Amino acid sequence: MSKASAPLVSAQDMAKKYGDFIALHPLNVEVHSGEFFGVFGPNGAGKSTFIKLLTGQLRPSKGRIEVLGVDAVNDPQKVKANIGIVPESESPPSFLTPAEFLEFVARLRGVDDMLAKVEHWLDWFGLQDKRDTMCKDLSKGQRQKVMLASAFIHKPKLLFLDEPFANLDPIYQRKCREWLLNHVEEGGTIFLCSHVLEMAERMCNRMAIINDGRVLAAGTVKGLKQSSDETLEDVFIRLVGRSIEDVERHEEEGVTHDDSEE
Amino acid sequence: MAGTFIESRPWTDDVLEQKGGLGTSAHDVNLNEPLRGWAAFSATFRVMFIEESRKSVEFAKKRQIVLFPLLLTLVTAISTIGLQFLVGDSTAQSSDLDAKTFTWQELRFALHLPLFMFSLGMGTFAFMGRDAILRRSGTKNHLLAAPALQPLPNSMAHFAYFVKDLLFYVLLILTPIISGMALGILMDGFAGIRTPLLWSSLPWTWLAMATTLGQGLALSFLASSLWLRGRPFTIVGPVAIVALGIAIGIGALPSNLLLWGLAAQSSQNGIFIILGLMLSIGIGFVAALLILDDFDVSVVEQGDLLAPTYARLRFLGRGHVRLIVAKEFVDLFRSGAIKKMTVSYAIPLLVLLGMAWLVDFAEAPIPINLLSYAPFLGFFGFNFYSWLTILDSPEFMNGLPLKVPDLIRAKVVVYFLATSWISLIFIVLMAWRLDEWASLPTSIIVMFANSIYIVALTAFLMGLRPNKAIFDASIMIWFWIGTVLPLLGLFLLSFTQGDVSLYGNWWERASQDGLAATSQMYDETMVQQGYMGMITISIMLIFASAVLWKLMDRRWGRSEFSN
Repeated sequence: MSKASAPLVSAQDMAKKYGDFIALHPLNVEVHSGEFFGVFGPNGAGKSTFIKLLTGQLRPSKGRIEVLGVDAVNDPQKVKANIGIVPESESPPSFLTPAEFLEFVARLRGVDDMLAKVEHWLDWFGLQDKRDTMCKDLSKGQRQKVMLASAFIHKPKLLFLDEPFANLDPIYQRKCREWLLNHVEEGGTIFLCSHVLEMAERMCNRMAIINDGRVLAAGTVKGLKQSSDETLEDVFIRLVGRSIEDVERHEEEGVTHDDSEE
Repeated sequence: MAGTFIESRPWTDDVLEQKGGLGTSAHDVNLNEPLRGWAAFSATFRVMFIEESRKSVEFAKKRQIVLFPLLLTLVTAISTIGLQFLVGDSTAQSSDLDAKTFTWQELRFALHLPLFMFSLGMGTFAFMGRDAILRRSGTKNHLLAAPALQPLPNSMAHFAYFVKDLLFYVLLILTPIISGMALGILMDGFAGIRTPLLWSSLPWTWLAMATTLGQGLALSFLASSLWLRGRPFTIVGPVAIVALGIAIGIGALPSNLLLWGLAAQSSQNGIFIILGLMLSIGIGFVAALLILDDFDVSVVEQGDLLAPTYARLRFLGRGHVRLIVAKEFVDLFRSGAIKKMTVSYAIPLLVLLGMAWLVDFAEAPIPINLLSYAPFLGFFGFNFYSWLTILDSPEFMNGLPLKVPDLIRAKVVVYFLATSWISLIFIVLMAWRLDEWASLPTSIIVMFANSIYIVALTAFLMGLRPNKAIFDASIMIWFWIGTVLPLLGLFLLSFTQGDVSLYGNWWERASQDGLAATSQMYDETMVQQGYMGMITISIMLIFASAVLWKLMDRRWGRSEFSN
């Protein structure tokens, strides 16, 4: 594989198991440069586990993961130093102000011209009047803006976003969406997890639908539709609905999904 | 451009052979190296210190956080002046009474031991870190959880937290104490005030106390790190503590080893200070290295525990408290905290029991008997209750038809149900060891009355945030008044119940001669009066607990659920 066509992210046989519960079935994935790749699925489908494994937040039960040429299982610190992560529900530290937290993150990531960048992102997210307010006293949306700013501050080539717009108002949703699309145009790569299908249609050039810890379908947004009048929601319900019916039928029959596939 | 590819496969237990890399590339972007070593430590330490100050101020408010060190300074200044009545070489003592007063070494011990116990209670950083990781998806988050997302090793975050806490306590607790001593010395000569303390001893005392504090924090940190590593490491901490206690009790090891700061202060040897501080930092560093980069929050399926627990609590009636008690017990068992709490509650009692086996208390300067132990068991309740309040975030209850006093009362009930059997076993074993069966029933009454009262008082004053309330001067003043007065009364009265000479006539003699009191054999009347006094105080404590129970609604009824 030539260096130019080499993927940014690659996982082979990556899986996560808690006791007997399989949170993510063995999975092979490659994400290439310039992609806006979305993983969609219902609640509890395994989306957050997927993103946490790729970003070194979780150790896989088995399999190999490599990000930007770095082994994510053996050197998760180096992976974290070179990507941006926006988690689904994590807040910034409660007792730091937005300015302090961004400075802390920029310092850890060795960002040049740190203070100017902190000011830039506080301005960009309209947080200047809250710059000295402790994060615990911010609204959910403002805390989400701080988390987004902390992921953008070093302008990483690769961003992992888990339900990034959950608490944002429509104005900042649009602003962030445009920034992300522009980032991809400039050569950035984005890996996004969500259950909001509208984001797939507006932003992703490729997507996968997962449920019950396994990939049900993947491809371009257009390619997943069986006909021109089928909406993405129809596709989602067709795939996930059928999958849930499968699970229920197998549970009634007393066999597991794995057995049925083997 | 190659497209993104993704596919699932069925689960198999096969493990792929690792050959070379997976062929990813950063596409000519220069990769950053994560900060390591000193750079990571300094970047983290500074913001952690700011975070700690804000956490304390947030609860105590600015005026009261200043009041807490002031209170310490004032109390220490008064104690410094009072030293003349406590040490044998003061003018208030006559030379033939030296044996009846405290030596400097005993006073130093009385300074270092409570500090050591305090630091042991505050140093379980590995548990705190794990809690921070588990709670990071909630509304509150702390820097200790930062390694989950940021390029910062978990061990470095913990080490920075340990050093930050050590420095914070030195500034917030030790420095005001030394300032109080300095104030006491400054007053020497005014209006006949005398103090035997010298300026030259202050730096030694400050450094020696910092050493003891560091030692306690480091050992507690190490024990919690070992515990989290699982078996076989889990048992190393408790076994080492019990073994050390016994070894020192039987004289196999010099007691200097127990408190390094005390050893350093007694010898006035700077090398001991440097060694003690370096060893504490070293142990803290080793404890931090034992912390893994584990951010896994296990998904474990459980059978229904709430319904059967609720059914077993029929004796609590049908109110909300019964339901919350059931929920709290489920939290205790599912979090594994019941094991940690039981061990941390039982170990000090085991050490006391072990020492009672090995040490002849008749030789001690203060004759201790079974009734002397009973009041102090209640003090362990503070730590247990504090732990109960941080098990889970109670914020979800804000949307339920519940009030904060319901939850506080439930936690008091859980404390009592979870620990009373340990205290009971301890007091029975102690009665057996000391052969004081006659005073066992009274001891049990005193013990339960104290346990209920101290936890009820803690809960009433501190609500759902006892760990933060200890830095609130106004709360701590009430806490000390509420606990020290009855405890002191019970403790002194307990001396009327044994075969003691000095304290048999303690009231008459002490009122005439203070600590210069001479001995007189106790008589039956004194025993009767002492016994009635202890029972009366215990009944009053139970009554006070009931009043506090009722007053919870007034104090916490309008508060929101938050810890």
